[in-house]
Amino acid sequence: MQTERLKTLAISDSGFIFDPSSGDAYNTNETGIFIINLLKQGKDFNELMDNLIEEYEVSENELEADLLDYIQTLKNYHMV
Amino acid sequence: MITVAVSGINAADNPGPGVGIIRALKESTLNVRTIGLAYDAMEPGIYLDHLVDKTYIMPYPSGDVKSFVERIRYIHSVEKLNVIVSTLDAELPVFMDIEQQLAREGIFMLIPTKKMFALRNKGKLKELGEAIDVKTPNYISCTSYGDLVHATQEVGFPCMIKGPFYEAFKAHNQAEADGYFNKLAAKWGFPIIAQQFVKGQEYDVIGCGDGTGQNMGLFAIKKMTTTALGKVWNAVSIKNDQLLEACNRLLEHLSWRGGFEFEVLIEEKTEDIYLLEINPRFPAWVYMSAACGINLPERMVRCLMDMEYDTHSNYSSGKIMIRYTNEILKDISDFEKISSYGELENNQRMEAS
Repeated sequence: MQTERLKTLAISDSGFIFDPSSGDAYNTNETGIFIINLLKQGKDFNELMDNLIEEYEVSENELEADLLDYIQTLKNYHMV
Repeated sequence: MITVAVSGINAADNPGPGVGIIRALKESTLNVRTIGLAYDAMEPGIYLDHLVDKTYIMPYPSGDVKSFVERIRYIHSVEKLNVIVSTLDAELPVFMDIEQQLAREGIFMLIPTKKMFALRNKGKLKELGEAIDVKTPNYISCTSYGDLVHATQEVGFPCMIKGPFYEAFKAHNQAEADGYFNKLAAKWGFPIIAQQFVKGQEYDVIGCGDGTGQNMGLFAIKKMTTTALGKVWNAVSIKNDQLLEACNRLLEHLSWRGGFEFEVLIEEKTEDIYLLEINPRFPAWVYMSAACGINLPERMVRCLMDMEYDTHSNYSSGKIMIRYTNEILKDISDFEKISSYGELENNQRMEAS
C-alpha cells in the first residue's frame, strides 16, 4: 500500500487531519488515528488486523469488514 | 524613500489588488511612500490613511490615452514616482505601450510584454496548456444562440456557462444554459464561454516573473470559499509540488515578466491539473502571500530598484486567510478634496489634525 501521501498529513490529537498538498481537512476518531499511525509505520493489512485485535475487543470478521471500509475511505481521499 | 504608485484600490465586495499590495509594501523592510491611483472617489483605499499616503483620481484607461499619460506625468512631477504597480487588466495594454517612455523618465514597471499578454489570453489557453503539459477543459466561445447550442452539444452536460470577465454557472440542460447565457450576456456582454464541467477543487498559485523565465517565489492556495463572482474570500495555503512545477514550466515557457495568478482546478477523481486562467497581475488576496513570508510586491519593487531580493518559496501550509468587511468614518471634507480636486493627501491631513 502506498503511504507516501499519508506521511505528509498533519494529524492532531483530536483527529483533525490536514492534507498540505490538497488543502483538504478531515476528522477521524481515535481508532482512525490508530490505523493511520500504523499505516505510516509501514504495517500491512495483516499487521493492522493483529494490532487492532490486540487493542480492541472485536471479532476478526467484523474488524476485517470495517478495516477494508476505512481503507477504501482513505483511498477515496487519495491518502493511500 | 521609494515612491510606489498602485492602482486597484477599490477594496469593495469585488476587491482590486491595490490595497493588499500596499499593505504588503508597508509591512515590508522598504521605506515606501504609497500613492493610490483611483478611478472613483468612493474607492475605499483612498480613505485608508494608515496605508495610502496620497491618492490621485485617474482618467479611465479605456478612454483618451493621452489624458491618461498626462495624468501620470503630472503625478510624477509632484511625487517623483519610482515604481508603478498596475493591477487592473484594462490598464495593462496602455502601460505596455508607455512602459519604455516611463522608464526613461525614471518610473519603472514589471509588466508583461504584449506578446506574453496575448499568449495567456483565454482564447489561447488550450495551446498554452499543451505547451506546458497541463490539461485544459474543453471550451467554446459563443456570441449567439446558435453558437451556444453547438457548443453545448460539443462539451456536453453538465457544463459551465461563463461570463467574459466574471461569474460562472453550472448548466444541466439546454434550457438552463440558455437562461445563464442571457443573464451573463445582459450583465457582462460577449463572448460567453461554454466549458466542459470538471469535478474538482479550485487552486491558485501566485508569483512574479523576472522576464528571464525565473520566478521570485511562488505561493499556492486552495480556495475555501468564493463570492458570487467567484472571487476568493477564504483560502488555505498549500504545498503541492505538481502545481508549483506546472507554474514554473509556465514561467519558463513565457519568460513571464511581472505578477501573475495561475488559476487551476484539480480533478477530484484523477488529481489531474486543469488550467482555467492566467491573470497577468497580482490578485486581490496577494497580501496573504506576504503575511506567509513571500512578500511578492516587495520583491517586485526591489527588483525594479536594482536591490537584492529573496526568491525562495519557503512558507507554511495550513495558514488560512479570513477576509472580512469593515467600516471607517471620514469627514465629508475628504470626499470633497478627492472629488473636487482629484487628490487626497492623507499624511498632510493627519499632521494638521
